[in-house]
Formats: sequence, C-alpha cells, structure tokens
Amino acid sequence: MAKETTSDTTMESLAKGRSIGAFRCLNCFERVIPPAGAKTYKCPHCSFEWRVFWISPTFPRIRGPVWDVNRQLAAEEVRKQRKGGK
Amino acid sequence: MALDRKIAYINLTTGEIETKPIPISIRKKFLGGRGLDMYLMYNHIKPGVDPLGPDNVAFVSAGILVGTLASASARTHVAGKSPLTGFVGSTNMGGFFAPEMRWAGFDHLVIKGKAEKPVYLWIHNGEIEIRDAKNIWGKTVHETQQIIREELGDRDIKILTIGPAGEKLVRFANVMTEIKNAGGRSGMGALLGSKNLKAIAVRGTMDIKIAHPAEALDYDKKVITQVTSAKVSQTQGRIGTPFIWGATNTQGLVRVRNFQLNQLENADDVEAEAIDEYVIGMTGCFGCQVHCRAKYIIPEGPYKGVYDEGPEYTAQGAFAAEPGCRSTLTILVGNHLTNIYGMDLLETGSLIAWAMELYEKGILTDKDTDGLELRFGNDDAVIEMIHRIARREGLGDILAEGGLRAAEKIGKGSIKYLIHVKGMSNLHSDERPTPALALGIATASRGSDHLRSRPAIDLYHLPEPVLRKIYSQPVAYDGPLTSDYRDYEGKPWQVFWHETCYEAVDCLGICKYHTTFLGATLPNFEEWSKLLYYNTGLEMSPLDIWTVAERAYNMERLFNLREGLTRDQDWLVDRYFDEPTKLGIPGIQGKTINREKLKKMIDEYYEHHGWDENGVPHPETTKKLDIDKEPSHML
Amino acid sequence: MAKVLMIDYEKCTGCRLCELVCSVKHEGVSNPTRSRIKIVKWEMEGRYVPMSCQQCESAPCMVVCPVKAISRDGGMGRVEIDYDVCIGCRMCIAICPFGAMAFDTLAKKVIKCDFCDGDPLCVKFCEAEAIQYVDASMVSAVKQVAAAEKFTGIMQKVAAAIATV
Repeated sequence: MAKETTSDTTMESLAKGRSIGAFRCLNCFERVIPPAGAKTYKCPHCSFEWRVFWISPTFPRIRGPVWDVNRQLAAEEVRKQRKGGK
Repeated sequence: MALDRKIAYINLTTGEIETKPIPISIRKKFLGGRGLDMYLMYNHIKPGVDPLGPDNVAFVSAGILVGTLASASARTHVAGKSPLTGFVGSTNMGGFFAPEMRWAGFDHLVIKGKAEKPVYLWIHNGEIEIRDAKNIWGKTVHETQQIIREELGDRDIKILTIGPAGEKLVRFANVMTEIKNAGGRSGMGALLGSKNLKAIAVRGTMDIKIAHPAEALDYDKKVITQVTSAKVSQTQGRIGTPFIWGATNTQGLVRVRNFQLNQLENADDVEAEAIDEYVIGMTGCFGCQVHCRAKYIIPEGPYKGVYDEGPEYTAQGAFAAEPGCRSTLTILVGNHLTNIYGMDLLETGSLIAWAMELYEKGILTDKDTDGLELRFGNDDAVIEMIHRIARREGLGDILAEGGLRAAEKIGKGSIKYLIHVKGMSNLHSDERPTPALALGIATASRGSDHLRSRPAIDLYHLPEPVLRKIYSQPVAYDGPLTSDYRDYEGKPWQVFWHETCYEAVDCLGICKYHTTFLGATLPNFEEWSKLLYYNTGLEMSPLDIWTVAERAYNMERLFNLREGLTRDQDWLVDRYFDEPTKLGIPGIQGKTINREKLKKMIDEYYEHHGWDENGVPHPETTKKLDIDKEPSHML
Repeated sequence: MAKVLMIDYEKCTGCRLCELVCSVKHEGVSNPTRSRIKIVKWEMEGRYVPMSCQQCESAPCMVVCPVKAISRDGGMGRVEIDYDVCIGCRMCIAICPFGAMAFDTLAKKVIKCDFCDGDPLCVKFCEAEAIQYVDASMVSAVKQVAAAEKFTGIMQKVAAAIATV
C-alpha cells in the first residue's frame, strides 16, 4: 500500500546491517577493521597492503594499494595459479 | 497540484507555440521525465530522420517528482535521436533547471524545426518566448548564463545551454546547466545546436501543490536519513564520485592507454584524496543532502584562479587513465574545458586515448596531428586536443564526428582499436573481469554506457542473502545470484533489474545516487511508491512503478529497432574477448570476456525482457505493457 | 533564554532544501518565492548565503509599522506579524536591512520566519548544519570555538613547519 509507513521497506531493513568502521579487503574481500588513524593497513588474511584514508575519525576507506608490496604478492600468486593450472 | 504542469510544443521554424495539459492516463503509463520523453520520441520522430536535420525533435523534461519533497528531486531529462549513434539519445542531469521549469508551469517541452538564426527560449510563469541569441552565440557555457541573467534582469533565472561544442555540432556535445551539471552522452548539445537553439532560460513563481504536505515532510526526512546514513553517501559527500577510483583502480578495473592496460600504476595524484587537496568545499543539486560535487579553483598554469566544479570519476578516466596521464592539474583543467565548451568529457577522453594509440601504432602521423606529439602520458597533448575537438580544428574536426565516423575517415584498420558500443565510447572502466558490467554496456539503449543498467553493487561482494532481498522485489526472482563479480551466473537478471530501476528513477526525476546504484541500501521502488503518493496523490504500488519503467524501456527498444538496431549491435568490440587483462589483483589478471557465455547472457537478458532471440519484444510483451498500438499520438 | 537561527554560510551547500520545506510547511506548496528563508547565490563563485529574519532586538520593521501589527513574542523571542491588524502596506519590507521580510504575491500578505513555532524545519532538514537553532547566548560561543580552532590549526602548522626546518 502506498500510504503504509509503519513497516520497514526492504532497503530500510537492509540498512540496519551497515558496518561503519570496517572495510572489505580489495583482494580477498574479507571484512577487516584497521586501527584508528592508520595510514596503511596489511590485511591479516591475505597480506595485501592498503593505503587508508579516513572519511571521518571512525570511517576508513581504501585509498589505494601499497604498490610495491601488492605488485610482488600478485606476481607470486599468479605464478602459483599458473603452476597449479598445469 | 503537482500534476498540473503542462507540455509545450515549440516549432522553431514557424515560431508557433502550443501548450496542453498532460492527461492523468498518460501520467500513469509513463509518469514523466525520461519515461514520457520516450513515449513522445517514438510518437514525434519519424523513422530515419537525419539527427542533425530539422526533422529531429528535441525533448526537455522534468521528472514527475521534481521540485517536490522526494530527496534530490532535481533531474532534467533531454532526449532526441542521437547525432552520435543514430539510436536513442537521452541524457539526465542534476542542478536546478528542472525544478525552476516546473515552477514556471512546464514539465515537458517538445521542440521541433530549426530557427532561421540563433535563438533562445525564455519561459516564465506559463509564458514562452523565442528570443534572439546573437549576444550569446559563440559564448561558453558559463558566459552564456551570466549574459542571459543580465539581459533579463533576474539572477535567479536557471538556464539550460549548449556551449561552443554544441554550436559546432560536435556529435557528443552536451547540454549544460550552471557550472557543471552536464547532460552528457549521445550528443543532445549537437541536437540543440542543429536547431539554432542556444539556450532555454526558465524562471517561475507558480505553486506546485503537495498532495499531503505533513506526511510528505515526515517521509522525506526519513528517506533523507536513509540516504545520508549510507557509507557511500558519506564518502561521496566528503570526496565526491572520485572515491570510486579507490576501489576500481586498486583492483585493476580501469581502462588505461585506451585498452592496453587495466590499471594506472603509481598514480597517486589521480586519486580522490589528491584531488581533494584543491577542493574548497562541497555543493549539491536541488534538495539534496549528499552534496557530492566538489568546488575547486585551478591552482596553477594558464587557467590559474578559475573556479569550477567536479571533477567526477569520469574525469579521472578521461584525462588520466585512458590517455595514461598522472597529473591532478590535467584532470582539473580538462574538466573545466569540457564544462565551458559543453562537451562530453567521457567521449572526449576516450577518443583522445584512441587517437593516441593510433599515433603510437603509426596509423596517425605528425602530418595528421599537425605536429602534435600525441603520445600516451602527454598531458599537454590531451589539453590541446580538447580545444581542437571543441573548435573542430584539424584532427579534432575528425574526432568531433564520433568514433565510428572518424574510424571510417582515418581508415588503416583504426577501427580495431576503437572501444565503443553502438558508436558510443565507453566509460574508462575495464569490464573484462566483470561479466555483469560487460553485459550492461553491450545492451544499453543509448550505446556503451554505465548509467543505463550497470549493477555497480556487483563489485561489493555482497552476501547472497542480501542480493536475494534486493533483486526479489518488486517482482519475484528465484534464479541464481552470486557474490563473485567474475561470474556469469544470475547477472542478466541483475542487469535487467538495474535497467528498470534506473529507468524508474529517471521517470521520477530523482538522482541515481539516491537509489540502488552505488549503494546497496538506498531507496527504490517501495520508497518511491510512498513518495509519489504523498507528493502527488498518485496511488501506484512498487510493482506499478516497475511496470512503467519496463514499458518506457520497451519504448526505447522499439525506437532503436525502428532505426535499424539488430542484435549484432548489442555486442562488444573484439578486444574484450581477445586481449587478457595484465595487471591488478591476482583474481582479475588474465581475464577476458567469453564470447559464448556473453551470448548466453544476452539470450537470458532478452528473455527477462520478454524479447525474442533478435531482441525484438514479443507481441505478448507489448500487449502486456499496453504499448502494442504505438505510435498512438495521444500527446 | 530565547533561541535564534545561527547561520554558518561556509557550511551551506546551496541545495535550497530549506526553501522547499519552508514553503511546504507554511503554504502546503513547493514554491521558493513563498519561503521565509532564501539562499542567495553567487553561482559562478560557489558562494551561497542563507538569508532569513534575524529577529533584531531593535527591529526596524516593528518601528516602521504604521498599525503596530509587528511585535515581539515573549516566549520565543521572535518578531511576529498579527495578520488581523496588518494592512499589507509593505513598509516593513522596504526598511528591513536583510530583505528578510517578503511579500507573498499569491496570498497577498507579508511573510517572515516564525521559527515554525519552535521547531524550525530548515534546521531539521539541513544535514550540513549550515542553519542551527541555538540559544542566543550560544552564537558567539560557537563562533569563538570555530575561530579558535582555525587559529590553533594555523599555529600547529607553523610549529610543524619550524620543527622540520
């Protein structure tokens, strides 16, 4: 019904699952929580390292990769995948 | 009430102007904005007309909720047959033009014919006047607006205008309003230019009656909170759309050096946070609390001290990733120039990058470029080419014709390197690792485009139950859905769902950043049903709104088919299939799109739409949507 | 203690939602010309300034009104119009130094901010916090803190710059 306002819409109910303070690692997609104010953060699950920007003191986001670290990790991983593929 | 705004038919050849009310029955079928424009377009444009000839028709409109309490209800829509693609031309922009047009009494303008000499329209409180534009012809987007305001003596006048690029019929020229609200893609600026119509000035003091004011206020507040509390909105409100770069370039989803690489490495100056150093504050469109647009002053060089707004994510691609540049300044200046020329920056950057690849491969030589060293990474060459395209000088004149026409003129196999769908360049995103996004650009009605159907939240790795909730309303769906953006499974439904969602939001006149585009928890059909009722009194269920959107999208399909579209044009260029990605996180290296799987996805996407294997709507589909007797010429 | 609208134009994003909610609240319509608040814009410079009634202590509108239709509300401290007395002569509009008195040409009456009777909607909807409804005594305190913050920020930058030399 157009007029009904009491019950949550689908999106309102989904919004309750938001998690400010965490972000997903952009390599392994695990949800991680960097320490407050950290400028870089190494993912404890996959070791990829990210440069972090803080939208607010409690809201971090990934600005970009730590280029040298991740390039090396990616090269190793791709080598391994290719070996495994054979 | 909110539905008493009129439609005006303006014939620039004869000077005749006619206004009519818009019947509620038509409203219920197409709402307004893009939806009703698509109906009008199918009814008023004769098949096969020259897009730059007097028989093409320009449509300017406001969404049905524009100017009401519907959170960011600011959107202007402009349509016509595209001078770039020859198919649907359609563009949507923010700012303050559409609300002002509604306060001036109008929702839809149908502009026919061609004025003998340059003119502009002056629309105020129900009156429409065709005025001489000799004082503004040749002026930039920013200058034009100032001159009109001075001429008419009211600083609150809102103006939709074309820049020099539109006058020169650059086939991807924009319509613009204020500093940087751009109606880009598909060359609607060239369409107005071909009619000798420089601008439309509006000012109104007429009431838009809100059907249920107290409830509308309460509910709008609720929706605003839902929007602004989302992480994506907070991020956008802080650093604007360039924030997207953080996720896409980091993973390797950005098209670099035309299509040679998929990541711009060591480009820290291109990041949102680097651009932010030059930002003096954020601004927003009418009624919007997200305020995603940055205000900046160019810090150095020939344009030092100039004020502009943006740059958006697209500018990072157009003036950095694609031409392989790494300078913040190039992005700031490139954005400014395309704003004042009134030219689609995405198309501009893409074509410059293409020309750079042709130059490096020897297909274009110094003779073609008049000595300009068109190498990747040459910032000065990028800026110089923007000027040349807008002014149609030398190679710029060729590129101004759009990719396909330019490739024909240049020859020598140049088309092999052009990244386009239906003759329109792609955003700087690299969709080789993301089949859902690839399907979206392949099938989008106005050509390669990310704003027609892109399931951007597919990149967020959302849990399957969350996806299921989002994609099972307002119509049931129990097919596959996967969290992995590299998969092909279930993606056709997602593309179909977003396509319908974006069509709906464009009918309503609400910004896409206030729906399920960049954020997974933002309002859509259920919220719109309530907003529509409280503001206009129209009682439509979420499913009713979905049906309107589906109907409108089918009108677009019918238009394209009538203009000769075939299934072959819902397809990607070969490089997507043949050249694997080389950079980025391990999970997306070595990726191509699989031809067979894409074909299957397209089949499935057509099925969701109720179209046959050629992409033609089944008779049952058009009957079900009540468009089987189009053109019906009811308006 | 009477409250006032505290406006910080540096925070204003220029979206004009305040104008919209004001006209809907008071007139049931969307129409910024009937709003009691107005965003004055220098669009080409990105400058936006919300303008509304300052509820002046020595209110010129009150003084100039020939029929004494304008008075101060004891409770809220607002300057208000008694529409039963007002003759619509617009002297108050002529004299207001802020242009905060407006004439609604549709309703044919003078309009001005009434604090929405104690819960100003412009404040409620402005998430940028460019307009706040605060105790009159708080205005200077808030501004002092903001200015001091800027000042110490500069001092810290200078100190850091010296330290790195």
